[in-house]
Formats: sequence, structure tokens, C-alpha cells
Amino acid sequence: MARKISYQQAINEALAQEMRRDSTVFIIGEDVAGGAGAPGEQDAWGGVLGVTKGLYHQFPGRVLDAPLSEIGYVGAAVGAATQGLRPVCELMFVDFAGCCLDQILNQAAKFRYMFGGKAVTPLVMRTMVGAGLRAAAQHSQMLTSLWTHIPGLKVVCPSSPYDAKGLLIQAIRDNDPVIFCEHKLLYSMQGDVPEELYTVPFGEANYLRDGDDITLVTYGRMVHLAMEAANNLARQGIDCEVLDLRTTSPLDEDSILESVEKTGRLVVIDEANPRCSLATDISALVAQKAFAALKGPIEMVTAPHTPVPFSDALEDLYIPDAAKIEAAVRKVMDASRSAA
Amino acid sequence: MRQPGPIIGIIANPASGRDLRRLTANAGLYSSTDKASAIQRLLAAFGATGIAQVLLPTDMTGIAAAVLKASTGPMAREQRWPALQMLDLPLTQTVADTRLAARQMVEQGVAMIAVLGGDGTHKAVAAEAGDTPLLTLSTGTNNAFPELREATSAGLAGGLLASGQIPAAIGLRRNKRLLVRVPQQQLCEWALVEVAVSPQRFVGARALSRSEDLAEVFACFAEPHAIGLSAICGLWCPVSRQAEQGAWVRLDTSATQVLLAPLAPGLLQGCGVTASGPLQPGVAYPLSLRSGTLALDGEREIEFAEQDTPTITLDLHGPLSVDVEAVLAHAARHHLLVVPRDQRHTPATLR
Amino acid sequence: MSTQLSSEQLLHAYEVMRTIRAFEERLHVEFATGEIPGFVHLYAGEEASAAGVMAHLRDSDCIASNHRGHGHCIAKGVDVYGMMAEIYGKKTGVCGGKGGSMHIADLSKGMLGANGIVGAGAPLVAGSALAAKLKGRDDVSVVFFGDGASNEGAVFEAMNMASVMNLACIFVAENNGYAEATASKWSVACDHIADRAAGFGMPGVTIDGYDFFAVHEAAGAAVERARSGQGPSLIEVKLTRYYGHFEGDAQTYRAPDEVKNLRETRDCLLQFRNKTTRAGLLSAAQLDAIDGRVDDLIEDAVRRAKADPKPQPADLLSDVYVSYP
Repeated sequence: MARKISYQQAINEALAQEMRRDSTVFIIGEDVAGGAGAPGEQDAWGGVLGVTKGLYHQFPGRVLDAPLSEIGYVGAAVGAATQGLRPVCELMFVDFAGCCLDQILNQAAKFRYMFGGKAVTPLVMRTMVGAGLRAAAQHSQMLTSLWTHIPGLKVVCPSSPYDAKGLLIQAIRDNDPVIFCEHKLLYSMQGDVPEELYTVPFGEANYLRDGDDITLVTYGRMVHLAMEAANNLARQGIDCEVLDLRTTSPLDEDSILESVEKTGRLVVIDEANPRCSLATDISALVAQKAFAALKGPIEMVTAPHTPVPFSDALEDLYIPDAAKIEAAVRKVMDASRSAA
Repeated sequence: MRQPGPIIGIIANPASGRDLRRLTANAGLYSSTDKASAIQRLLAAFGATGIAQVLLPTDMTGIAAAVLKASTGPMAREQRWPALQMLDLPLTQTVADTRLAARQMVEQGVAMIAVLGGDGTHKAVAAEAGDTPLLTLSTGTNNAFPELREATSAGLAGGLLASGQIPAAIGLRRNKRLLVRVPQQQLCEWALVEVAVSPQRFVGARALSRSEDLAEVFACFAEPHAIGLSAICGLWCPVSRQAEQGAWVRLDTSATQVLLAPLAPGLLQGCGVTASGPLQPGVAYPLSLRSGTLALDGEREIEFAEQDTPTITLDLHGPLSVDVEAVLAHAARHHLLVVPRDQRHTPATLR
Repeated sequence: MSTQLSSEQLLHAYEVMRTIRAFEERLHVEFATGEIPGFVHLYAGEEASAAGVMAHLRDSDCIASNHRGHGHCIAKGVDVYGMMAEIYGKKTGVCGGKGGSMHIADLSKGMLGANGIVGAGAPLVAGSALAAKLKGRDDVSVVFFGDGASNEGAVFEAMNMASVMNLACIFVAENNGYAEATASKWSVACDHIADRAAGFGMPGVTIDGYDFFAVHEAAGAAVERARSGQGPSLIEVKLTRYYGHFEGDAQTYRAPDEVKNLRETRDCLLQFRNKTTRAGLLSAAQLDAIDGRVDDLIEDAVRRAKADPKPQPADLLSDVYVSYP
């Protein structure tokens, strides 16, 4: 039975249901409950935007607030994961990656390989990504390519409440370290979400729209802007196929290539900065493996090579929008029509 | 530039207070900052009593550095602190540093050595001081030998005595000591408070704080209010610092009645005392154990086995120390600290 | 708590230390031939620390180590031949040849790994201690780090967290006086690493790391404290490393004859032998027998490691993940 709940509620539900099912799951992070040692309400916050609210009382002793010590508590989550527990740690903003990077990069991601296949590190690190809240440069990044680049990590970017719940449950059950990227602007998005436990597999892109003219590949919040652009373009007689990657690592290469083989045209949309991004990664993949199918050059729609600006006038220019996606599609269509 | 007049040496053990008793008892901290502060209080008191020069060894924990820095400030000038001469000796960060500093101070003819530390530190200084009196201040863990006293009043007493304003007969006290001899190891060591015999075979982490690790305690003196191994004697058969004998007790872990004694700060242990008696001076007492370790003033130092025959002898002619209470009582009776108002910041002079 | 050790325990302690010494001394010789790939960082001189602490630990207790981890691995019971093969980069190595000297691990023995990132082990053992707490077990976790790593934020964060969460962790700072080529006298502001403990709400002690019995006693007190739920502690063990930061380091930053003097006057194996034989607890013959056995063990490990095959090309791509995708 599905009903409409928000992306945020879907995440909360995934955590609650999985923690109920599996006693080895626990949560640790900064203010994931809130109120530790303070005289007022316990579970005062439930996460800075309330995503984990209510879990503290439902699961006594399993929702742990940590001091402001990313190396400390992310590292502790990694250590606990090697001991048969399933920690879900929270990096409040992905921008804080620098504070705990070693524990993810050199420890969690590498134990399996370095220890000759004998380690299992079933860690989930939930983190908030993305721009649009006027939170400025140090609280608005995507950093998807940072995690995707690292062998040993899995990287998940749900675009809807349905995907958020299913992918998070999959992430908790997965035996590898997973970086689970929640876009801040999607928390209030409503969507149909089944009440029961279910999983969404990794490495399988979601075809949101079938089309014959051009393939739009994207992930996260950009999925919705791509769909908006696709709908607008449809009225102009351009039929877009839209792929939501859902996980950037593992990447569903087969679906991307299959779609481009069909349409012959590609636009990649990525909210992150352009250098060494998912956009360039996918573009290179397609150029290498589906070159013959391409009818025209690949276009990328990304943020510029700048930090995220504060002023709304600038931030709105920073974030890719439907108009930019449409312009990119038209450019590819024009270039490929003249080449044909 | 050497000033005329008596010189006082100050030795503050930078290492005291970092041993196993931090883990096994509730022994507190006495940080380098606290030690530096105590020294500054000594200097203020020395300044008021006419001491013009102090010798201070350097150290790696910032004590001497903090004192040096303070000595250039307005308070030091106002209080007429004595001139500081640093003893720049090679530091090994072991007890050898304490002993070397004491030896150098004696060679330079200090009138007295102020010691900030526990029993172990005082023992190390006393081993080199000869008849140079010690001004004792407790900062270590086990403090039975040095009295718990504030540095300012100790400094006043020390300064008055060193500047010749107090007769030695009143101001100085001759302390007892225990001589530990292990001829087979060519060892002859002193203890200022007590020697404990332990069945623990090895020196290990040195500190002793459990009653099951004690077989016997020999004490020069044993005050009922003391903390440390001498407290066992102190609460069973106390002996004053002045008495011309010591005390010994023998312990047994199977005794049905135990004496509750504070063997370390915050650590009360039940000690099964089965025998006790006086320690006569000049008599070499053998041990009740054939093998084990000897703890001198709370720290295991000597391992002995079947082939060794250690003995403990009480010596009434141990180191000299300043009797702070007697000095200050004398100063009060004779108004030694009364000076003209306009000279109140000038050191008190000899009457 | 009695710290009296039985003859079996004394012999085992000696065997652990002797195995570490022989392993490291042999590596020093073999590394110079150029046959061993990469870097090795030798523990020779520090044996009393590993042996003294590990004497109190069970397989279910966890330890984490650093780049100078062979001693901790051996003392925790990791297979010596498997370690040697790993250092030689062979498929028979305890990590299949894919980790090397700095990443030797055996999770079945509670060894969370040597680590190429100094200080990284501290949060990891806060984690294994947290896991024990959540599981309701009294297992303890110990991290070994050096004087250099004692200045890493990871260590400070883990210490604070361990106190705040009352975790059964023990922080063992092996202060050998040198962080690579920089003296700890210069780099550690408070000079005694043990002094930092109070700032993190736990007791800290400084112990003579050349004396197995001193380490054993202090570690015993810390382990008992942790197991009984009284929280973490810091033990600073002062010792020396005989060899350089890495093999190939000429150690020109040390005083001439510094190592020679320490080997002759303070060596932990020598002290152990002298104390136990003088006390009549062990005989020279017993210790010599162990020496012989250990020499054979190391010789066998080296011989087999040299002869063993290297990993296959397919091993390059395996075990990045547990499941694909």
C-alpha cells in the first residue's frame, strides 16, 4: 500500500523500519537527536532538518549524538562496522567531508581490498548535498565526484521519496560502505511510498521517460529539472529519454549506452562543478564506448567552476535550470541535424 | 653577577605526579603550572625575608620558563624577588636530574634547598644534600615526608632561617632515615619515610598501592594523618618524627581483621596486620621474605632473590629540614617581620 | 589485582618479544637485499610495549596499530608466516599480498590493521569499543600510536569521544622520541603525552617502555578499569626504536652511538632475561630454547615467503566490494 509522504519522511521511515528489523543498525551523528546533556527536550532536533526526529525515543540507546568530531565519530562508525554492527552515521553537510575524509577514503573504502577480501565494512554515511537554500559556499556543494572516484565506496543519490526509502534500506543491508546523498531541496517533496519494507537495487538507472530523439542522463534533484525540460521540449516536438542514475557508483553503464545507441544524442546534467565531474565521466564513457552511435557532440549542463555564491541572484544562476537544459538539447539537436 | 648573602636552591620535580597511581587510585594532578606558581610564592616570601639569590634548574615541562617569565614582571620587582640563576644542566628526564641539581647546589654553597615533590623527590635530594637543610613542600602523590604546607609560609620560614634570623637549634630538625643494604648487589640506599617489602617480584611500574602487595613495612616515623604505606604503622603503632626509634609491621593477607589505611590518595585498603614492634636505631633488621621487591618511600626500587640478604637499619642522623612551624612561631614571638612602613617592600633585615 | 606472572606467562611474554625482535632484525637484513617491495617500519626495541599490553587481551578484544605495526600484529597472534609472506607481497600473505607491511590485519584475532595513516586507529578503536558497549560485552579496544601521531586531531577527537561516551578504550602512546626525523621534545608541547589525558577527562600515566613488567602492570590497571566500565585511559610508554623511521633512513638526526648505548644498557629483552633469571623464576636454558625455536620460525617464514607465488592478474580486480553491484 502506497501513500503520499515526503522524501524526509521516507528516509525516517526507512531508518525506523530497518532498525526495528535489524538490531545491529544504529545511528550516530551530530544532533541526530539533539539535547544531549541539555536541560530541555531530548531529541530536540532529530537532525538539523528533522530527518531523524522521533527515532531517539523509539530506539533507546541506538541513536547516538556525537561531539563535533567528524574524524572521531565517522571513524568510530567505521570501527564499529568491522565488528558486526551496521552503523548509519550522518555527515551533516557533505561540505564537511574534509573533516573526516581519511576515515572514509583510506579506511572504510580500502579495508576490503587491503585486507585481502577478509573485511566487511557495512557502513552507511548519510549526508546532505546541494544548493538552493542560500546556505553559501561551505554548505551547498554536491561533491558527488569526490566519493564516486574512490574505489571501494558506493554512492547513492535518490531523487524521489520512493527511491529514498528503497535505496536507503538497500544501503543499510549492503555490506559495503555507502555514501547516501540527500538533496536538501528534496526533503519536502511528496511522493507515493509503500508502507512496507522494500529495496531499490544499486547500479540500475530508472527510465523516467522513454524517448527517441535524445538521452538526458542525470541524478538527484536535477532529475526533476530534466523532466521539466523534457516536458517543455515535447511541446516543441523533441522527444527526450530521461535516465535517473540513482547510484553513481556502481554506475549503470549498460542503460546509458543502450539509450545512446537508440537516440544517438546525449546531454548530461550534473549540479556539481564541471571539472572531473559525473558529467565528464559519463561523457567520456559514451564517447569511448558508443562513439559510432553519436549523431552529434555531447553536451554537459553543470554548475560553473566556482564556489556556490550566497546572493540569490547569483545562486539561481549557479544552479542548472530547465531553460539551460532545453538550450543544451536544442544545441545538440541543431548540431546533429546539420551533421545528418 | 653573584650577589652577597645566602643563596637558596629550588628543586621542583617536573616528573612527579605521573605514575601508576593515576590509574589505580584517585591521585590528582599537580601540573607544571601549579609547580611554577608555588615557586613564585616562594620567591615572594624569600624577597620579603632578604634572600637575594636563588638557583633554579631548567626543565622540559615549562616550570622554569614560567618562573623566568614571571620574574621579569612588575610583581617580581615590587616584591623584591631574589635574582634567579638558572642551572643549565644536561637533562635526562630521570631522577638523575634531581640528584645532579642538588649536588650542584651544594657545591655552590646554598644555604638550603627548597624541594617541591613527593617522598621520592625528597629522598633523591637528601641523598646529595649532606647537611644542607631542606625546605620541604609536597606536590607528589605520596607525601609523608614533606608536610602539606602552603609555599608562601614555607618560604617565609626558609627565608628567615637562611638569612640567619633564626637560631639553628630552633629552626632545624634532624630527620631519621632508613638504610637499606643489599651487599650481594653492592647496594646501599636510603629511605626517608618507610621501606615496604613486597612479594611482587619485579620493580615494574614502581608504585605500590594494594595491601596484597605488602608483606612488611619498616617506618622511620609514622603519623596517623599520613597518606601512603607508612599510614599502616601510623594507624596501628604511630611513631613521631622526634622519637628515637621507628616502627615495623608485618602483614598477612589471610588475617581475619584488617586495618583500613589510606595507601594512596583516595585508596583505602584493608591491611591484615599480624605483628608489629619498635625499630631500634643502629640495628640491622632482616626481612621476612626470601624474595620480592623493596619499595623505598612508596616506589619499588630493589629486586631481591634467594641469594640476597637485605637488611634495614634505622639511622637517627638523617637529613636536616626546616621546621616551618617552629621558625614562624619564633618569628611571631620576636616580631621578626615587623618593619617600618616605608620599608615594607624592603626585605626584613637582621635585628 | 595481582601482577605476579606464572612461568608459562613469563615464557610466553619472552617468546612474544623474542619473535618480534627476530622478525624485525631479519627484515632489516632482507630489506637491504632489495627483494622486499615498498616500505617497512621496524619495531625493534619497542617489544615490551606490545607484549606487556597484549598479555591482558583476548581475541575478542580489538587493537589498531600504525605503520610500525609488525610488533602489535605478532603480539596479538597474527600468523608470523602469513605476515612475512604479506610483506614479500605474496599471494599466501595474510592479506593476499594486497595490503603489505603497513596494512597487515586479522580481524579474527581482533587486529583491526596496521595503518598507513598515523592516528587513524584511534577513532577506529573508539568504534570497536562502541560496538562492544552496544553489544553489552566487556571487550576492550586498544590503539597504539606514536609521539608524532599523538599530535593528530584524530587522536584528540577519539580521546574526547571515548570519555564522553565512557568507552572501554585504551590509548597507548609509544613515545620513542622521534616522529620521523623530528624529536618529540620539540613537537609535543606539554612534553609528557600523559599530561594531555587530564584535558580529555581520563587518567594518564608515563611508563618505562624498556621494562616489560612496568608496561604489564600499567596495562593491567588500564584494562581492568576499562573492562569494569570505568572508561578510557592513556598510557604513555617511553621507549626507543633501534632502526630508522623506515628502512633506509640513516637516522642522522640521532646522536651517534645513541642506539648502541640503548641496546647495551636498556634493551627490553636483556632486562627481562636478567630479571627473571636473577629472581630464579626462569632459567637461561629455557630462554635459550625459546631463542632457538623463534629463530627456526623466522627462518621458515622467510624461506617459504620467498618461494611463494605472487598474486595473479585477476587478483587486481577482486575484493574491491563485497557485492557487485
